[in-house]
Amino acid sequence: MRYVLIAVMFLLSLILPGTVFHFWSWSGIKPDLLMLLTIYIAMHHRLSSSVFWGLGAGLLEDLYLGRYIGMYTLTLAVVAFLSYWLAERWYRENFLLTTFMVFLVTAVGQILVAFLSLGAGLQWPLGDIARLVIGVSFYNAVMVPITYPLIHRSFLHGWLRYRPRYER
Amino acid sequence: MGKRVNVTGIAVLVFFLLLSVLISIRLTGLGSHFPNPVGGFLQSVLSPLEKPILQLGNGIREHTKVIWDFQGVQLQNEALLKKVDQLTGDNLKLKEQVLAGMRFTELDQGQFRNPTLEKYEKVGASVINRNPTTWYRTLTLNRGSKDGVAANDPVIGALGLIGKVVSVSPTTSEVLLILDGEGQVSALVRSSAGNGTFGIVQGTYKRGSRLTPEGNLQMLLRREDNVNAGDLVLTAGVGGVYPKDVPIGKVVEIQLDPTGLLKTAFIEPLVNFDTLEEAYIVKMAGGK
Repeated sequence: MRYVLIAVMFLLSLILPGTVFHFWSWSGIKPDLLMLLTIYIAMHHRLSSSVFWGLGAGLLEDLYLGRYIGMYTLTLAVVAFLSYWLAERWYRENFLLTTFMVFLVTAVGQILVAFLSLGAGLQWPLGDIARLVIGVSFYNAVMVPITYPLIHRSFLHGWLRYRPRYER
Repeated sequence: MGKRVNVTGIAVLVFFLLLSVLISIRLTGLGSHFPNPVGGFLQSVLSPLEKPILQLGNGIREHTKVIWDFQGVQLQNEALLKKVDQLTGDNLKLKEQVLAGMRFTELDQGQFRNPTLEKYEKVGASVINRNPTTWYRTLTLNRGSKDGVAANDPVIGALGLIGKVVSVSPTTSEVLLILDGEGQVSALVRSSAGNGTFGIVQGTYKRGSRLTPEGNLQMLLRREDNVNAGDLVLTAGVGGVYPKDVPIGKVVEIQLDPTGLLKTAFIEPLVNFDTLEEAYIVKMAGGK
């Protein structure tokens, strides 16, 4: 059930930004749901699984978008690592702190995407990059109070809880 | 039990990972073609889901637009209302023109055919003003000297005589109606037997007679003249202003003069001057 739910969430994260958030975009800025999901997953896993989830999610998005394969793979792996590292140090029950963390990690992730894009030969003005990075990070942070309590509870007690084999 | 961390190994791994990612990004950029079966599969699975969501979103957005973008909708509404007003005006104008065209056609088909009128050039005109002063019974038509209209040109309607042009501006002309006391028409009463009786038809609308604003026509005749109610009155063509045989009206009543020498025939004009909208100006004066 846990993996089905995660798969559904991954697929929704791929679908929703282009559909639902197309209508809720704010001067073209949409949340990066897959990054948000990766942060949530990384906060509730050990380091190696976090990074693997990040790699998988990134690869999925890269393949879905069908261009610049590796860009999101790398980014989400870094995001997952960073989320794990911060969640180890910051109290993850504190939703306000989590919101700030999501803002921070998303900003780092988006900056990484921007740098990789520049490296890939895209020419974006720095002002645009700053606007996008801050916008997406802010939007992701806004999503936290709506989504995090539910997912956090599910990871602790619900369907998303990791159960070792001997428990099953 | 601490694990030994091979820092060099990790650094090399990270370096090659980064390098391969950068190469991969470079190779799979926009516009590049590379096999992507997973992406294709994802797209084919997800696109049926995406389409209805987008359609639903579009539907919701369209139906709740008034809430999200109240000001925009309001502005649009105002602009549209303005446009509707403008188009309604245009439409009315067009309808008027079509109706005017129909009336002219009717006028042209003619309730009467007059060989005298055929000789002259006529110009169709619309009534643009009625009785600009209270002193005369006049109409203003939208044709003037530019169209070749001259003073003293007779003006006729579908059914009969209307009056004559008394003043002309380049684009308009003022028509004195036969109802006005100032305008007199040499006429002939055609009895049912076909005999003609000459006389002068004049309007009963007199300056200062404000109590009877609706003018009418009367004709003074000798007592022995054979004129009966119902006889048709036509222009006589004498006097040079009006062409011959244009219908003026119908005798409705005959009154004997107290002196016993004369009798007055009251004539009802054939033209309804109150609803008159189009007329022909016959270029007689100008043509001479």
